[in-house]
Amino acid sequence: MAELFNWSGRRGEDAAAGSASSPGASEALTTSKVFPRFIAALAPRPAPVLVDLGPVIGANISYFGEHLACKLYVEDLFAELEALHRRGAANTASTALVSRLRHADESIDGILCWDLFDFLDRPTGRAVAGRLFRMLKPGGAVHGMFGTTAIELKHYTRFVVEGAGSLRQRPYPATKVKRTVLLTGEINKMFEGLKVAESVLLKTSTRETLFRK
Amino acid sequence: MVNIGKSVVIKGELSGSEDLTIEGQVEGRIELKQNVLTIGPNGRIKAEIFAKAIVVQGEVHGNITASERADIRDNGSVDGDLSAPRIAIADGAHFRGSIDMQRAGVKPTVEHKGPEGKSSETKPSETRPSEVKASEMKASEHRAVDVKPAAPPQSLGTAPASVSQTTISPPVR
Repeated sequence: MAELFNWSGRRGEDAAAGSASSPGASEALTTSKVFPRFIAALAPRPAPVLVDLGPVIGANISYFGEHLACKLYVEDLFAELEALHRRGAANTASTALVSRLRHADESIDGILCWDLFDFLDRPTGRAVAGRLFRMLKPGGAVHGMFGTTAIELKHYTRFVVEGAGSLRQRPYPATKVKRTVLLTGEINKMFEGLKVAESVLLKTSTRETLFRK
Repeated sequence: MVNIGKSVVIKGELSGSEDLTIEGQVEGRIELKQNVLTIGPNGRIKAEIFAKAIVVQGEVHGNITASERADIRDNGSVDGDLSAPRIAIADGAHFRGSIDMQRAGVKPTVEHKGPEGKSSETKPSETRPSEVKASEMKASEHRAVDVKPAAPPQSLGTAPASVSQTTISPPVR
């Protein structure tokens, strides 16, 4: 019984934290046009290596296992970023995030980069993008999502893959920051050396881009 | 069933042939190749882990290899590489590292019970040990668990909390 109470209490705290930290944030289902192409780009590769820069999502692990039989690295740079904010060390994000990505050059087939750059200032974004470029194998792909509205961000988002073209967005609390809105040209320049295979502006005002090396 | 209480600190190699619940701290290597290892909510592990199945409710720093199943619950935290034919990671769990899904021809599918769902597949309450006195625990560990180098047990065993959670478990192809 006590175990049940513990569980309920913790969930209650989570709910309270979520509502306090991210008012108005709610789940949403996004139809992705580019994600199926990202999967299609990696599917022919034998045992591809994938890096997810976001938090771990059990359903996504299952999805990638089923569709790609890949090796998946979960980096959760959002957790790193949040820890830096809490320590008052957000100005060191560039070094911290880049040093976190220790993969050998040209060792990664695919990178999931969902919303991350919204939370990074431009110099940090450039440094991280440069590192991602170096990690990527020739022919590899990056699936990026970039917000286009200049708002204050109060939550990160867990993207749960529900199907080839469906991503459910589940917000969770974050330290407030103003979104870095990157123009399409800026994004392309940041990932210089990669080709833009597809770029779509979704109804949610999110730019979805598929880069290939 | 063996329980390592939350005030127990073990440095070295730990192996055995019984299911084990750890609520204390272990640093080194853990081998329970035929049994279930449960890292309770108070468990703090810095070790390479080899087990038949592992349930993580506490913290693990180190690589995990499970021959059947690895289950990270919503309070669980793993920093390390994970290798198992079946992997379940709850929403809200912390994980950093790699997940190798190429082994044993695994084609996982999702068993998702939603954020409010409760897992019924692995019941940590099944691993609830009875209270063990320190002197008795030593004998018990001798029978079931080898600790190298020997570390004197210091505390009474404690029962792990049961945390219901969302579980996503990929079945075998």
